[in-house]
Amino acid sequence: MTAPAIRTRELTKRYGDVQALAGLSLTVESGEFFGLLGPNGAGKTTFINTLVGLVDADGGEATVFGQDVEDDYREARDAIGLAPQEYNVDRFFPIHEVLEHKAGYHGVPEAEAEERAEDALKTVGIWDKRDTRFDWLSGGMKRRFMLARALVSDPDLLILDEPTAGVDVQLRHDLWEIINRMNDGGTTILLTTHYIEEAERLCDRVAIVDDGRKVEVATPDELMERGTDTVEIGLESPPATAPTLSVEGARDARMEDETLLVSAAGGSSLAPAIMRELEAAGHTVTSLDVRRASLEEVFVDMTRADHGGDTEVEMEVDA
Amino acid sequence: MNRTATQLLTLVRREVLRFVRRPYNTFLPPIITNALYFAVFGVILGSRIGEIAGVSYIQFVLPGLVVLGAISDSFENASFTIFHGRWNEYIQAVTTSPMSHRSVVAAYVSASALRGIVTSLLIVGVGLVFTSVSVAHPLYLIAFVLVITTLFGGLGVIGGLWASDFDYLTVMNQFILRPLVFFGAVFYSLEVLPPLWRTVSLFNPMVYMVNGVRYGMIGVTEIEPTTSLLVLTGAAVAVLAVDLALFKRGYGLTE
Repeated sequence: MTAPAIRTRELTKRYGDVQALAGLSLTVESGEFFGLLGPNGAGKTTFINTLVGLVDADGGEATVFGQDVEDDYREARDAIGLAPQEYNVDRFFPIHEVLEHKAGYHGVPEAEAEERAEDALKTVGIWDKRDTRFDWLSGGMKRRFMLARALVSDPDLLILDEPTAGVDVQLRHDLWEIINRMNDGGTTILLTTHYIEEAERLCDRVAIVDDGRKVEVATPDELMERGTDTVEIGLESPPATAPTLSVEGARDARMEDETLLVSAAGGSSLAPAIMRELEAAGHTVTSLDVRRASLEEVFVDMTRADHGGDTEVEMEVDA
Repeated sequence: MNRTATQLLTLVRREVLRFVRRPYNTFLPPIITNALYFAVFGVILGSRIGEIAGVSYIQFVLPGLVVLGAISDSFENASFTIFHGRWNEYIQAVTTSPMSHRSVVAAYVSASALRGIVTSLLIVGVGLVFTSVSVAHPLYLIAFVLVITTLFGGLGVIGGLWASDFDYLTVMNQFILRPLVFFGAVFYSLEVLPPLWRTVSLFNPMVYMVNGVRYGMIGVTEIEPTTSLLVLTGAAVAVLAVDLALFKRGYGLTE
């Protein structure tokens, strides 16, 4: 049986008064496309940096493909390709040499390192910029390069810390395509993102973390199931105020633009009962639509509940 | 070539290319500075000073200038490359790689020592313009230069990990290294010092380095060379052990 790509138990890390990781336990299976969602300061980057050795955890344990990230750091790090959120690129060399060096640090011989650098730059579409230094690349090209550097060591685990932050829609789709191809080829992906659509579209499972703790782990569909759907009902003679409903699970009925809106967890399954109750009360239903909760709404609900409902959560939704 | 050797040589190559491709920053300054030293101290002042220990003043000064250049550049190379990598965070490409701590230290120190050796050769080359250069004890000379550049490459690693701003590099180079070298008998013989200052000078490690290289080049020394070599070798081993411990601990590199 293959060891999990990532397995952490009770990871803790404190910076002064800030508890960045508060006993975070997560398991990412080999070959999975796993998303890590959380508001700013939730501990996502600290978690990633613990895996690659940039952060010393105060407590707990972490393994990558069964290798302890401290005791077996060489084996663990060899499996990881990291594209960090911040640019941390060697500015002294043209980008193809930066990639060759990175491959060399992983023990790839010089001739093969050159081939890998070429492949990586072609994969992300900036081969024609190979003799340029990082500083002279455009913003989009810099993001492409960060992915190329993570790919050049041919990692089994690709960690992407907000890889599409601040890039245009076209580039975002290009990057998604590359990452998906890697995942289809068997590479495990750990993705942190602020774009909910990205997690919904790409991830097999997502973990929602907040305050350095895991709030939930599930597939995007499972999470959305747990969200509050909105049942939109058109009535032949719309009343001024929403009728009272006794269907269990239906809540917050209200009229908006002459349409009855009912909030309900699992809205699709409750819709027939709501319609029956309305018709029994003398209303004629003319239309019915169930708007599913988005992952964004579920995310906001979960992290807000975690903060007692008074925390502003910063997330972005891409059109 | 095995994997560890490939990793080590990749980082050495990166480090060497960094200083080779910037000769105006790395090699030209010691050439110009030493040409000025030779012109002023050797030719202009030297003609009035006459001989010291049986050789002309310019030949007496040359080994000290070699030491000055070797230690300055090996220290500067290691401290700058590590500090700059930390400052811009690109050192993380190395520290998050599967390279062993030992390989990382070996690569930074050997590349820095190599730069110190190249600088030494350039200074000798400049010296040849002004005077003849002799090598009285080649094995001692090679051993001293290797040990000195390794020692200061290793000290540079510590400095690069310790520094939290560019000012720290200046402080280490200008206010610690340079005074020690200038009071390390580069430009004078210990014989000319009063007894008290002569004794004080013996606590300055530069005195042993300068005398060692002087022995290798012109066969003259005021301190027994084998003892100096052993002490300096011991110091270099100790410094490398500290380098290794710091990398293992992640000092200046991890949060």
